[in-house]
Amino acid sequence: MFSIDLTSRIPIYEQIYEKIIGLILNGTLKENDQLPSVRSLAKSTGVNPNTVAKAYQELERNKTIYSVPGRGSFISAQDNDEFRAKVLEDFDSAVNEALDRGITTSELKDRLDTLGSAFGKENKI
Amino acid sequence: MIELKNTVKKFDEYTALDGIDLKIDKGVAFGLLGSNGAGKSTILRLLSGIYSPDSGEVLIDGKSVFDDPEMKQKVFFINDETVQFGGFTLKKLKDYYRSYYPNFSYEIFETLRKKVDLPLDKKINTFSKGMKRQAIVIIGLACCTDYLLLDEAFDGLDPTMRIIVKKMLVDAMLDRELTTIISSHNLKEINEVCDTAALIHNGKIVFSRDIDDVKGSVHKIQVVFRKDENGNIPEYKAEDFNSDELQILHFERSQSIYYIIAKGDEDVIRAVFGSKKPVLLEIIPLTLEEIFIYELEVLGYDSNNINEE
Repeated sequence: MFSIDLTSRIPIYEQIYEKIIGLILNGTLKENDQLPSVRSLAKSTGVNPNTVAKAYQELERNKTIYSVPGRGSFISAQDNDEFRAKVLEDFDSAVNEALDRGITTSELKDRLDTLGSAFGKENKI
Repeated sequence: MIELKNTVKKFDEYTALDGIDLKIDKGVAFGLLGSNGAGKSTILRLLSGIYSPDSGEVLIDGKSVFDDPEMKQKVFFINDETVQFGGFTLKKLKDYYRSYYPNFSYEIFETLRKKVDLPLDKKINTFSKGMKRQAIVIIGLACCTDYLLLDEAFDGLDPTMRIIVKKMLVDAMLDRELTTIISSHNLKEINEVCDTAALIHNGKIVFSRDIDDVKGSVHKIQVVFRKDENGNIPEYKAEDFNSDELQILHFERSQSIYYIIAKGDEDVIRAVFGSKKPVLLEIIPLTLEEIFIYELEVLGYDSNNINEE
């Protein structure tokens, strides 16, 4: 389920954190799905159990997952607003960069319309 | 919990530890990093009660460990010279340690021994170097102490044995809050096994922190600024970016590209440099190895002497 790059520059707990978020966003992990225990994830990835626990604590703190004593950790109901906010934030920064490099708003609008209608066609059926 | 309080240890004129303050919480896997002669082994020997400090305190669970048999039973120390009983068979060696450590687990011993296929009835001095290591690591884990000290002990183990030992450590950490302290100059090893690490240099602590925090703390930055209306590249100095939140450690310019090393969060760096609307901004966290080398360079230790791996 997870592959962790122990040699990466990215902190290991952050890799675990991001991986779980990613699996939720792409729909692999759904509400109330159970996460592997700290022990089994530590053993399968070779990651120190304290580091796995730290990633889980962080996910629990921002309510991405919840834990049931004696049973383990589970995926919470996801807040769709937060996901939307992130996507829109990325969009804004891309637009800012484009404007900064001299691309006009009308060019961008045309492009957005093209993308929008293409998406509409694909998803009509 | 382990505490060293202003600990000094001298050997004749030589000061091995020069006022060390160190706290290691229960249940962590702690890495002691440092160049050769930094004082790593001395700390482990103090903790196992082999040495007494010249001044300061060395406490395990609040009690001094030197010359206290009861405290010594809480600690197992594995180093190169641990196998002094070459004439013993593995069975006899096991019985010897079993008589000394009351929590000795025959089950752990046998499970591990069978996994790596070590013979019980052959004398230890007929074992290869790697087999001797395996034997003492297996006994060390089987003794089920609260504290396990490994002095460069991972180095001699083959990859399979490493994985077995790592999995054993996971269980021991979760089931009985084992505290492991591993000394090494092999950063890869520390990075893989430990969650917290201290860097030691010349008998002093340089830093002692969560490894993931260490990793996220220093970044390499490459930035190209936009030319002004006259086609000139703006001139910046390190001071232009220094702040309480961002410490510029290295500042260099080559043509239009600035190479910077800075201590600070990625978000802060992105905000500070992003506000100048750069054409290119790349922020890469340093590896543990780069931080290690950099920190020692700052202290005047030539990095060419460090990379022994």
